[in-house]
Amino acid sequence: MANNKTRPAGTPAPTSPTQIHRSPGTASVPGATKHSAKRKRKKGPGLVRRFFEGILRRLFFGSKTLVKCLLLVPIVVFMVAFSYNVDCSGLFQGALAPRRIVDLMLQGYDVTNFEQMDERQVVQLYAQDVAEAPEVIGIGSSRVLQFTSELVGSDSFFNMGVTGADVRDNMTSYYKMVSYGKAPKVLLWSVDPWVFYDSENAFDSRADAELYDEFLTNVLGIETDYEEPDKVELWKALAEPAYFQGNVSYYFKNRGQATITDEDGNSIDFNPVEGDPQQQQSAIKRSDGSVLYDVNFRNLPVEQVLTKAAEACPTFNSVHMEGFDALSDTQCKAFDAFIRYARSQGTTVILVLSPWHPYLYNYLLNETDLHKGFFEVENWVREYCAQNGVPLYGSYDPTLIEGLEESDFFDGLHCKGSGIAKFFPGVPTVLQQIQNGDLPDPMSLTPRTTAEVPEEVPTDEAA
Amino acid sequence: MSITTLLFLGFFAAVAVLNYALPRVARPYFLLIASYAFFCYSPENRALVPVLLGATVVTWACGLAIGSSKNKAVRVLFLLAAIFTALGILLFYKYWDLFDLGIVNLAGLFGQRLEPYSFNLVAPLGLSYFTFASLSYSIDVFKRRCKVEPNLLHYAMFVSFFPTLITGPIERYPHLRPQIEKSRRFSYSRCAGGAFRMAWGYVKKMVLADNLALYVSFVYGDFSQMSGPNLLAASLLFALQLYMDFSGCCDIALGAARILGYDLIENFNSPFESTSFGEFWRRWHTSMTGWFRDYIYFPLGGSRCGKARHLLNLMIIFIVSGLWHGADWRYLMWGFVCGAISVLSVATRKPREVLARYNPICRSELLHRWVQRVIVYLLFAGSMVFFASALYNADPYAVYAGITRGWTGLEAGWKDVTSLLVSCGLDGRLPVMLTCGTLIVLGVESGGRNVAKWIRKQNFVLRWTLYYAMGAAILFFAVFGQSAFIYQNY
Repeated sequence: MANNKTRPAGTPAPTSPTQIHRSPGTASVPGATKHSAKRKRKKGPGLVRRFFEGILRRLFFGSKTLVKCLLLVPIVVFMVAFSYNVDCSGLFQGALAPRRIVDLMLQGYDVTNFEQMDERQVVQLYAQDVAEAPEVIGIGSSRVLQFTSELVGSDSFFNMGVTGADVRDNMTSYYKMVSYGKAPKVLLWSVDPWVFYDSENAFDSRADAELYDEFLTNVLGIETDYEEPDKVELWKALAEPAYFQGNVSYYFKNRGQATITDEDGNSIDFNPVEGDPQQQQSAIKRSDGSVLYDVNFRNLPVEQVLTKAAEACPTFNSVHMEGFDALSDTQCKAFDAFIRYARSQGTTVILVLSPWHPYLYNYLLNETDLHKGFFEVENWVREYCAQNGVPLYGSYDPTLIEGLEESDFFDGLHCKGSGIAKFFPGVPTVLQQIQNGDLPDPMSLTPRTTAEVPEEVPTDEAA
Repeated sequence: MSITTLLFLGFFAAVAVLNYALPRVARPYFLLIASYAFFCYSPENRALVPVLLGATVVTWACGLAIGSSKNKAVRVLFLLAAIFTALGILLFYKYWDLFDLGIVNLAGLFGQRLEPYSFNLVAPLGLSYFTFASLSYSIDVFKRRCKVEPNLLHYAMFVSFFPTLITGPIERYPHLRPQIEKSRRFSYSRCAGGAFRMAWGYVKKMVLADNLALYVSFVYGDFSQMSGPNLLAASLLFALQLYMDFSGCCDIALGAARILGYDLIENFNSPFESTSFGEFWRRWHTSMTGWFRDYIYFPLGGSRCGKARHLLNLMIIFIVSGLWHGADWRYLMWGFVCGAISVLSVATRKPREVLARYNPICRSELLHRWVQRVIVYLLFAGSMVFFASALYNADPYAVYAGITRGWTGLEAGWKDVTSLLVSCGLDGRLPVMLTCGTLIVLGVESGGRNVAKWIRKQNFVLRWTLYYAMGAAILFFAVFGQSAFIYQNY
């Protein structure tokens, strides 16, 4: 107290130092009583309240974090969109070369270098990429490839025929369109005889067997080895930054280039046709899917065409018909199932039998034992069409087509557009005939299946 | 599971979400399960789970015994048991082949012919980390620098925390213990910083290190055919590659741990800003050098002893460090060379200080510092020839000899290097991007800056520009499918 008196006013008196205890739970503070310690310990919020606070806190921070993460989504979206659109390995959009061809065709261009095309991939890609389903599609082998928009009589036509097509190609081409929700109004099918032959010999190695199995299993309900492909593995590529980088380098390599290349740097030689399509020196794929052969091939003299037909005679069976002795019951059922399937999709099926060169057909008639199956096909088809009301035009037997001449052929197997025009009236007419109920009777014509026995010439003696 | 895959990111995101969804008290146990799940993802690791579990229990029990006993002999006994267990596993898995070869050779000296016996051992993931962590715990408990951990699961989480399993950093229990015992509440800022640090690490590893590796591995893979300029460039770049690779992985680990609520020890402190070789080693792989310092160097006497002993201690530390990297004479030589440089650096300090007074370069502090940094980098890169040779199975002496060959002028040498860079795939915009990227990384990390904290101080625009820039860098320039980290082998 004495000291306090000597200090200047306002200066606090120093207090004796006290030890600071950093862990109040274990050490007692001098001067603090049990009572005051109890009073200081405030009662915390209840368990229920803390629980809900915890939930709210988690929800708040969770949503905040999520929102911020969403700001990064554009990077992922860009990567996925870029990879999908460029798709240098053709995982989603198909291989680069067929994609180029289809792109050009969809832009209305005729495309060069037909001989090098993978026609099956082109057809499948077309089904995928075409914005609106064409009203009419044509399926079949190279024998249907001369059907053009003009001959069919529809601007909305696409010829999905492929060289060497077997039954699997025919059916899967249509199935592809349906699977993309683009079922056409009319299906023009140029039926080849090997469609009814159930043998490995009738199949073309280029056909997409897996797709056909898928069609048989999923559509016709026939059991096959088909297994649903693992789409997840495929789509995972979209989230692969490495695939994105490949696409980036591919995109920059080909941007603005006159000749585009594939992933490995090989040039893709499919370009728009320049100049008059009729004067091209090599076969071209028209924008409607039909094929225009090179000018020299189209203008071969009749004698040379005849030579080609003669050359085709001994090798006739080698075209998917080796050992074709009888119609296959299975294939006939598959044929029927397919027609029913197409009709169930709202598609009108028109069948066409494209004629063979007269020389070739006559030759076959002279060795009917070797072509038993072949000669059964047309009659069966005619009977089927008659029973099921399916429009049928043309005949394998060229003599049944009025006005058909040898000059209407390119070779033994392929009929020119001028020949087609002689047996096929065009889709609008056919539809009109269906509407009017005046379709030509398939049974009104009977193809020759045996060689005519020459009438005996009366001899002088008999006379 | 490689941490540079989308699978890991998915795994980590799920772990992070569940971690914060759980009550805080349950989080360490959940992270322990997640760590073992991460460990068990690789089939070759699964068979080793019992080994690691056993070693964890043994070292924890030894710690408990050391802590509870007052009898020194008992304490020493249990310490030795812990050391034997932890170190024994490491030595067995990493050095059995070398040991076996030594026995065979020794027997050969005495005329005995023994066949080498190989177990075809694959060192489990994180074995080194486990060894260092458990050893440091046991020694710290013995030295009473650390309290005994009565909770086995907490201890198990410490020795197997999955972000640190691949390349560390090597944690100390006193540092991690409070974080395990009381898990942090969720903090958006911490998580965002952690995520940025992870992305930063991915850029360093996948964009910078892996692209540099394309060139370095190509040169070292065919070192006998390479010209001097290319061998020199590859040797100089390898030091940078290793830094980007190793520190990148540590950034991912630190970022991941930060997101989960844990702060780990920093492993790098801008090592290329060091002005002396000694300082460099205080900034490079600090958790490891710190471990060697505390548990080997100091017990040997450190620098508080005679000069000769001090220099010997330095040499021992580096040789042990070299041996730890692998059972290969090139790692041993690398350790020896680093030790020799350090010894020389310490031994010549005073004469160099005297000479510096007459050195005109030293008059400009900035210039002096930069010259010192360059010299330190050159010394480090020069010593790393042994390291790179061990990694890429090259002959280091042939590399050194090759560096001096094939020089036809600087311009021709430059062309030589650039043409090989292009043929290694480093063409187009990549070299420019690599240069800019490296400068940005070194610039941002300058002065030991913690990028996770730094990014949170930037404004929204710069922050998100950086996020997008890093995303784009990874997307466009990262090397995918080459995800192994150099240090995950050690």
